[in-house]
Amino acid sequence: MAVMNMREAIASTIHAEMERDSNVLILGEDIVGGMGTAGGPEAIGGIWGLTGGLYAKFGPNRVIDTPISESCIIGAAAGAALSGKRAIAELMFADFVGVCLDQLYNQIAKFRYMFGGAKCPVTVRLTYGAGLNAAAQHSQAVYAMLTSIPGLKVVMPTTPADAKGLLTSAIRGDDPVMFFEHKTLYGDKGEVPDGDYLLPFGHARMVREGHDASIVTCGQMVGFAARAADNLAKEGIACDVIDLRTTSPMDEETILDSVEMSGRLIVVDESPPRCSLASDIAGLVANKGFAALRAPIEMVTPPHTPVPFARELEKAYLPSAAGIEAAVRKALAYR
Amino acid sequence: MSKLRAFTMPKWGIEMVEGTISEWNVKVGEPVVKGQVIAQIETDKIVNEVEIEYDTRFVRLIAEPGQAYAVGELLAVTSSDTVEDEEIDTFVRAFVPAGGASAAPAGPSGTPPPAAAPAAPAVAPAPAAAGRDSPAIPAGSLISPAARELALRLSVNVSVIQGHGRSGRITLQDVDQAAKPIRSVHGGGPVAIEPTGAALDAFYASPYAKRLAVTHSVDLATLTGTGPRGRISRQDVVTAAGISAVPARGSAYEILRMSPTRKAIARQLTLSKSTIPHFYLRVSANVDALLALRAELKRAVGSAPSVNDYFIRAVALALVAAPDVNVQVHGDQIHRFRDADISVAVAADKGLIAPVIRAAQTKSVQGISAELRAVIERARAGKLRADEIVGGSFTVSNLGMFGVDQFDAIINPPQGAILAIGAARLCPVERGGGLSVAQVANFSLSCDHRAIDGAVGAAFLKELTALIETPQRL
Repeated sequence: MAVMNMREAIASTIHAEMERDSNVLILGEDIVGGMGTAGGPEAIGGIWGLTGGLYAKFGPNRVIDTPISESCIIGAAAGAALSGKRAIAELMFADFVGVCLDQLYNQIAKFRYMFGGAKCPVTVRLTYGAGLNAAAQHSQAVYAMLTSIPGLKVVMPTTPADAKGLLTSAIRGDDPVMFFEHKTLYGDKGEVPDGDYLLPFGHARMVREGHDASIVTCGQMVGFAARAADNLAKEGIACDVIDLRTTSPMDEETILDSVEMSGRLIVVDESPPRCSLASDIAGLVANKGFAALRAPIEMVTPPHTPVPFARELEKAYLPSAAGIEAAVRKALAYR
Repeated sequence: MSKLRAFTMPKWGIEMVEGTISEWNVKVGEPVVKGQVIAQIETDKIVNEVEIEYDTRFVRLIAEPGQAYAVGELLAVTSSDTVEDEEIDTFVRAFVPAGGASAAPAGPSGTPPPAAAPAAPAVAPAPAAAGRDSPAIPAGSLISPAARELALRLSVNVSVIQGHGRSGRITLQDVDQAAKPIRSVHGGGPVAIEPTGAALDAFYASPYAKRLAVTHSVDLATLTGTGPRGRISRQDVVTAAGISAVPARGSAYEILRMSPTRKAIARQLTLSKSTIPHFYLRVSANVDALLALRAELKRAVGSAPSVNDYFIRAVALALVAAPDVNVQVHGDQIHRFRDADISVAVAADKGLIAPVIRAAQTKSVQGISAELRAVIERARAGKLRADEIVGGSFTVSNLGMFGVDQFDAIINPPQGAILAIGAARLCPVERGGGLSVAQVANFSLSCDHRAIDGAVGAAFLKELTALIETPQRL
């Protein structure tokens, strides 16, 4: 076990997988960093500092700086994957998924279904989420939209260990995976298992364990939910906090097991409330866990607006630990 | 504001749809006072007196005795002031029964229905609400039709409700919640919420399966997962924990494996009876007054808490008065509780279970009754949460409903005492120098002598019997 932050966990996993399998390649905007500048290749190391050292080690054929064209990145990754490579494609901001959406949902997501089970091992790494004043076009949590597309797997690590386990599974798997990295979590530290470490998809993690209410969430919101649960535990209110880890496939079993025991569901989602992960899970439980419910399902989400730029507004926009606490209390107070 | 109010057919009980005035006990123009019987109304079940809920004067009687009227239909018009006949006519024309769209028939009282008045002026803002002391629903309120109907039926003041629908529209759920007493979110001491299955990370098992594996000491390595993608699921662990009975073929007896609950009871009570120095104090209490109070309540509102609920309330108050009985014994420490957290012994399928009514001294008899009913239902369904059955400070066990006269109970450790309650029976009692009969119930208090002395237990029982015999204090 080594203690590292999520950035280091992801970078070291990419290194390890590229070393392990010469078919693994990585491509994206400015991932070499500094290409074409006076400092030369790797003077900068990618804007998120996740790809430093790759170019020197694996060379220009496997570490590819692309033009500023998301369609090109995903299209090239898809082509490489169909011809036997394992491509890691980086979208600097998940918000730009709109630019290459056809490549994702009409092409990559359909190959296996339409073309005789064609394998398309592409791992698309997307940096997402609000909290760093990156404004409306660079802060969105677009995972709900991609979760709705059959044929794509959607993964959201919240700890360095999960980042390693899930990214390894994504790269070694034969299906396209959307790998969402929250920009505020890159610096979070944690213990990471040494050596080969793979986590299966659709296998939620129990972050806290109680029985008064079930808080189901993912990504950045997991930390918020854990904080809320810790505060509530001081007063004797015990909550399950479930980190979904992957939203497609999703661990329905764990959600229902928990709600069947607690009878109260609080879904916390960083994406806006309409047609969201929160509404999806609320629908699931209303449908399959209705008999267990003792209170209306609470959804803690941002409002149905773009992410604001102003620091105070962005803070008000995002769900908070206090908001989650209030939702738990509301569910418990239901008569 | 009009001074006129509608007197409508009341709704007694959920299935009442219409009623018949058997007779009016008032005359037009005579003043009536709140509480006065103004009519006899007959339903398909009963004939009952109707009392007026406010001081007023009947200015028109519309309902004909002997004729049936739907619930909510206009029976009479009242006004505390003198009013003109035309004003009453207009009021009657404009009247819309609660939940109904059509104007009520003018009735056979000799007031012929006036010619169709398409734009009859709305005289009273909400005549439908009148006669029930419920505030009117202002015209133009943002409220759903079903919510409006419920608010009128339950006399809920909607002006103070914050609507949770779009643009603050009041929903059925908002009214439902506003009509119920506020439920306090139970707090308490800190609880641990670290995941129990963390050490089992290496196993491909659902979180709940890991949790069960820890509580039932099941080795996950011995299991084959049948869940999605071969994952070990809750069911796999339940099966492995072996709760099923094994039938013994050709044998004179069958072998039943003890359920985990049964094993826990066996362990707990063996420990109790073999290590705790028990002693028993027995008293009886006259429950005539309590039974009368309960019968009165039942007659008045149609339902009443059970006798046991009253006993629990009495125990709670007695524990506050005698806190030295409200204790747990931990080695050489005595934990004296501030709240009366009363464990109530309940017979469930899997065995005895004792859910805890927390801080019972703060709860009304009705509150205790509702909580206990809900918790017993969950206990019988096997859905009780662990925190609902641990941490009580005192236990009550009542076998009166099974006809048991008297018994002594085994203390539920670490608690210091348990009260065993028997059935109420007619017994001769001494009263004013002579003998008469009264309903008497027997109580037996088992005490842990390490913490509780005889005099302390006696003081508790004295307070308890005093409370039960003067039930107005409950």
